[in-house]
Amino acid sequence: MPIPTLQGLQTALSGLLAEQQAMDVTANNIANANTEGYSRETAVLQTSPPIEIPAMSATTGEGGRLGTGVNVQTITRIRNIYLDSQYRTQNSALSSASTQAEELLQTQSAFNEPSAAGLANQLSAFWSAWNSLANAPTSEAAREGVVAAGEQLARSMNTLSAQIETISAQATQQYEARAGVGGEVEGIARQIAQLNGQIKLAEQSGQPPNEMLDRRDLLLDKLSAFANVTVSQQPDGTDTVTFGDAAKPLVEGTAVNWPQTLTAAAGGQLGALLSLTGPGGKLAGYREGLDEVAASLAKGVNALHTTTPFFAGETAATIKVAVTAAEVQTSSTGTPGGNDVALAIAELRGGATDQSYAALVERVGSDVKGAEEETTNLKTTLTAIGNQRQSVSGVSLDEEMTNMIAFQRGYQASARTMSALDSMLETLIEHTGVVGL
Amino acid sequence: MLGRITPSMISSSTLNDINSALSSLERSSSELSSGKKILEPSDDPYGTSRVINLQSQLDGLSSYTSSVQDGIGWTQASTGAMANIGEITQRVRELLLQAANGTLNAGDLQSIGVEVTQLTEAVKQDANTQYAGQFVFSGTQTTSAPYKAGPEDEFQGNGESVLRAIGPGATLEVSSNLAGVLGNGGGSGDGKLLDVLRTIAQHLTEGTPAARKELASTDLKNLDTNMESLISLEATTGSATAQLRSAQTRIETLEGALTKALSNTRDADIAQVSIAYSNEQAAYTAALKAGANIVQESLLNFLRE
Repeated sequence: MPIPTLQGLQTALSGLLAEQQAMDVTANNIANANTEGYSRETAVLQTSPPIEIPAMSATTGEGGRLGTGVNVQTITRIRNIYLDSQYRTQNSALSSASTQAEELLQTQSAFNEPSAAGLANQLSAFWSAWNSLANAPTSEAAREGVVAAGEQLARSMNTLSAQIETISAQATQQYEARAGVGGEVEGIARQIAQLNGQIKLAEQSGQPPNEMLDRRDLLLDKLSAFANVTVSQQPDGTDTVTFGDAAKPLVEGTAVNWPQTLTAAAGGQLGALLSLTGPGGKLAGYREGLDEVAASLAKGVNALHTTTPFFAGETAATIKVAVTAAEVQTSSTGTPGGNDVALAIAELRGGATDQSYAALVERVGSDVKGAEEETTNLKTTLTAIGNQRQSVSGVSLDEEMTNMIAFQRGYQASARTMSALDSMLETLIEHTGVVGL
Repeated sequence: MLGRITPSMISSSTLNDINSALSSLERSSSELSSGKKILEPSDDPYGTSRVINLQSQLDGLSSYTSSVQDGIGWTQASTGAMANIGEITQRVRELLLQAANGTLNAGDLQSIGVEVTQLTEAVKQDANTQYAGQFVFSGTQTTSAPYKAGPEDEFQGNGESVLRAIGPGATLEVSSNLAGVLGNGGGSGDGKLLDVLRTIAQHLTEGTPAARKELASTDLKNLDTNMESLISLEATTGSATAQLRSAQTRIETLEGALTKALSNTRDADIAQVSIAYSNEQAAYTAALKAGANIVQESLLNFLRE
């Protein structure tokens, strides 16, 4: 087979077209340099099928395979799906830790320790009031002082218990808002399912729908903040998404299974909220701890205040002062100047009640500290993985500029080849075989 | 080491650095402005529970201080009253010696008898001394006077002790059993001071030789016995005052130690924090500077137009 005369022009043209397409990809990369979730793309160039030149022909000598130029095989996105799955695992863990830290911090602020407004100070003031009464058992003011200090202490316990309950209720509301019908989780799941359908169609046409894949990956990243997410890619291009410890996959093809039941083991923000508010969770633990303080206070004081119980109610939410100033007992014998009861109650300072309260505050502090430290550590890890992902998928302007020069020069060279061929053909057409002059 | 570095990596890590520099700066600044290193329990959970305990102990100590001061007031009021009673008894003794030497006539004896009766009344008034509205010699019946005015001498209080807390688990009796010295007066025949005084007055009024003899012997002897009891009671009360004072010194020492421990646990080391603060300020400024200069240059700047 002879070489077509204009083959060189075609080859040069393929070069022009390929460089132009590669330049378009570069332009798209630069345009999306700051787009969230964008993976850089690259035009994969491959050589066009060559022309077989048979040997031993008059014009071609030994024969050979003549290249016919280049074409763009596909435009592919640069992405490492293993980094994606690592990123999502860490993102769930971070979201869980930071949710815990946030809720626990609120609880810690409710305790308001160490400060003059804290319960510790009011407990101390209550014991001091009994001591003042022991110094002046007949003083009406000292009796009033004991009742007032007791009432303030009881009220603070009621308030603190209610505050912890409110924090717990708000956490439950937050869970409902995210995981309920029409919540964020369902919204993201529906978008993923929709993209699954579109991606499946596009894959059938043969070319990867890069922008849809990027959008789906970004949605999966966001979903991983709510609970642990595992993604398994199906042969038809759809992603099957399992979410937390839900029984059925959240997204399967274009179907969404939501709402489902999650437990504290779901991970992410939702798992953290469930573990905080659930029975045996930290918030319930704090309320129990506070109830122990209240019970120890009521029992301790009532055991000594024998005429009539000083405190009624033995939980933090219900404790209140049950006596009037006149009913406050100062002595076991009932004599006006006796103060053995007042002295004994004042001696409760630093006892079981104070100790259990201090231990409770210490526990809250340790929990907050733990959650905060975990958050900081996970943030560092997540940043590192995010950087690795960026290192693979992020757009580097320097690199794009370099590519731009390469493609520009390639285009110029192809064009130059074309004009060289043109002038060769001109020689052939204009200057050879002039007849009849 | 990562293969490719992209501008967004640089900007995000610069932002992280600026944030972390700012957050440590904020921490030091709030430690400096509050003077405390424990601002909330999570800063130092164990330290917080220690602060709570130490603060409560300190509050307890200031309660003890007020108890001790109240106790000192009580014992001083008591010793004052007992000193007065002692002086009165001394005066009775002098009168008794005058009456006993036999040169006085019956009329003189009678007028001495009147004076002794008046002095007895004065003894009872001193026994009715009050401190902060409470009768100090009534036992725990602090609202009623131990002795009524007039010829009736029966003790109105009880024998219970009045206690003041002077330290953790430690109480001290501040009341003095003056009734043990004064007794229940004439009718009771208990041989205590009031009984003796009434007997002396009676013997003086009678003025008979037998009565005079009684005055010189038994009555004088009984009076002396009771004076000794009074002095010994005064000494006991005095030693209670001394114990209260030493308790106060002990509380003050303890208060100093606890305040120091509290400060060590809770308060920021200002010098250290100040140095950390300026270091962090420098780090923050550097991070800001890096942030302002970074990612301005790229290959773009060096390509021909």
